[in-house]
Amino acid sequence: VKAKRRVVTSGARTASKRRPTVRRIKPAIRPLVRRAEAASPSADSRNGGPNADAPAHTAATEEAPGAAVDLSVDLGRGLRLENPILVASGTFGYGIEYGDVVEVQRLGAICCKGTTLRPRIGNPTPRVTESPGGMLNSIGLQNPGVDAVIEKYAGTWSGWRVPVIVNVAGESIADYTEVARRLDGVPGVAGIELNISCPNVGAGGIQFAIDREAAGAVTAAVRRVTELPLLVKLSPNVADVRPIARSIADAGADALTAINTLSGIAVATGRSRPLLGNVYGGLSGPAIKPVALRVVYEVCQVVDIPVVAIGGVTELADVLDYLAVGAVAVQVGTAIFADPTLPVRLVDELAAECRGRGLARYDALIGTALPKRASQPSSKGVEYRP
Amino acid sequence: MRLAGAELLDSREILPGQWLQKYRAPSLVAGARAGQFVHVRTGDYSGLVLRRPFSFNTIDPVAGTLTIHFRTIGRGTEWFTRLRPGDRVDMLGPLGRPFEVDPRSQHVLLVAGGLGIAGVRALADEAIRDGRQVTLLFGGAGARDVYPSSLLPDELEYVVATDDGSVGHHGFVTDLLPEYEAWADQAFACGPLPMLRALASLASTRRRRLGVANLGRKRGGGRPIPAGSAQARRKAFLQVSMEQNMGCAVGACLGCVVMATSGTPQRVCREGPVFASDELNWENGW
Repeated sequence: VKAKRRVVTSGARTASKRRPTVRRIKPAIRPLVRRAEAASPSADSRNGGPNADAPAHTAATEEAPGAAVDLSVDLGRGLRLENPILVASGTFGYGIEYGDVVEVQRLGAICCKGTTLRPRIGNPTPRVTESPGGMLNSIGLQNPGVDAVIEKYAGTWSGWRVPVIVNVAGESIADYTEVARRLDGVPGVAGIELNISCPNVGAGGIQFAIDREAAGAVTAAVRRVTELPLLVKLSPNVADVRPIARSIADAGADALTAINTLSGIAVATGRSRPLLGNVYGGLSGPAIKPVALRVVYEVCQVVDIPVVAIGGVTELADVLDYLAVGAVAVQVGTAIFADPTLPVRLVDELAAECRGRGLARYDALIGTALPKRASQPSSKGVEYRP
Repeated sequence: MRLAGAELLDSREILPGQWLQKYRAPSLVAGARAGQFVHVRTGDYSGLVLRRPFSFNTIDPVAGTLTIHFRTIGRGTEWFTRLRPGDRVDMLGPLGRPFEVDPRSQHVLLVAGGLGIAGVRALADEAIRDGRQVTLLFGGAGARDVYPSSLLPDELEYVVATDDGSVGHHGFVTDLLPEYEAWADQAFACGPLPMLRALASLASTRRRRLGVANLGRKRGGGRPIPAGSAQARRKAFLQVSMEQNMGCAVGACLGCVVMATSGTPQRVCREGPVFASDELNWENGW
């Protein structure tokens, strides 16, 4: 199946400023009951005149404080989220772990733990450690394998209102496509997020995410085997993320997620060895927010598919920052560990923020800090410019 | 599992660098059992992004209070020592699976290495309340690390070993075990990994060495006991409370695993922290 390309307005590829696509899914104001009445011919004929005013009246009351703000967002291919606050892969398990503590159904979407074709036992411990303003993790993609994930959790997910996006990892393009094929059409699986920060074992162990060609190839391969909405997660551990992002977008991804963790290490007490069992870990948390902001800022200027930002979101201001640099949605990750109810609270706070600004939708907040013309990428010098 | 605010009632340094804090958190204490833990958020949100796990050191369901016992080892634990009575912290709990004492066990042996006392302390209360005889073997580096007997119930037999010999037996706490393992119906341990490993090795050969009948169902057969179940722990001679760097503490992040004999990593926060010692892989474990 040839990937469906989103319609690009003329010159958009080279255009300087680019607002990511936020499609209007629902009207901002939904006078559902009135519409239903109006649809009935008898009601229509009876209330000919006043009926026209009725929705307007409803609208007026809904604009009042406490009105529902439309936070819905479309990430492509019908992956419609009720709000733009997602929970990041690896921080929320399979959506069931937090039990009653979190109102799971109120989340925009859940990205589940990274899933591979075969079960993986993961890395030796210690697997996590705290660092200033963040944490390092090297779980090593411990998971029971795609078949077990489908068997154990998909049934539960299919009864949920909140979409579940399955995060997929692999060691070869064949791994990715096979997992995607098995997820395709499974009720309860709303989409796929590709974790391409994995070594491409067949090609010398270089991560897909740091090689433009490989990133495009794996995206295109998965695109060919599934009709599921496809998100691809960018790695920040590259010199210039823009060509990679463009390559992934051209290969048919529906949306991008930025960013995965930054590579780092910690030293054990005694200083005789690195702390983590796997030596290297991924840094996440507030410490990486400026990096993530920069990547989102750069990527949003070169692609015209939605970008979902992730990196150190701990409060509403972080969400607004990411929206301002062009993201249409954000994922909350590490902050969940300290504050499991944060994502749901952010939904309410974002709605309140929109209401406070008199917005019926949040998309006016998107891209406000993007430059009028394409800015220099960070790879061309950050502090020193010739 | 509930998320609740807990009010600090009392905080004191019971040993150099070791603190005992009492919190009021009725909703967390209700139903909490020995071996379970709470995951506590520090107030320094900007720098410390992870909660800190603490075993229930004592549980008072009537007063709705709990105590935690910790050593100051970093910025997080130091932050807790600066709290004053009346301050509130955010607690998630009770988490994990508790110790399971077989109803037929009359003699309960607790083995604690250093701060591991925090892991088994609550079980002493629980077992004494249930009318069992309890012996606590405690191992520490020296006299300054020995848990004060004034903080332990009177009914408990307290035996101390120190590495430097300044108090009690000169040597490891595991040296004391042979004297008690025939007496004990069940043993419960928490402490450094080498200690637990030594205990597990002793426990695995206990039946053969002592010719002790294994506590279990009288009639064999029936359904096999599923590994990791409360029943499997209740049946085990030795139960250990494991420690591991922890992220979420609810089983989502898979940060805090230990290797099981089955080859599947077990989450300390979810399947643990209490495990039957024969369920864990002590040789090639992580």
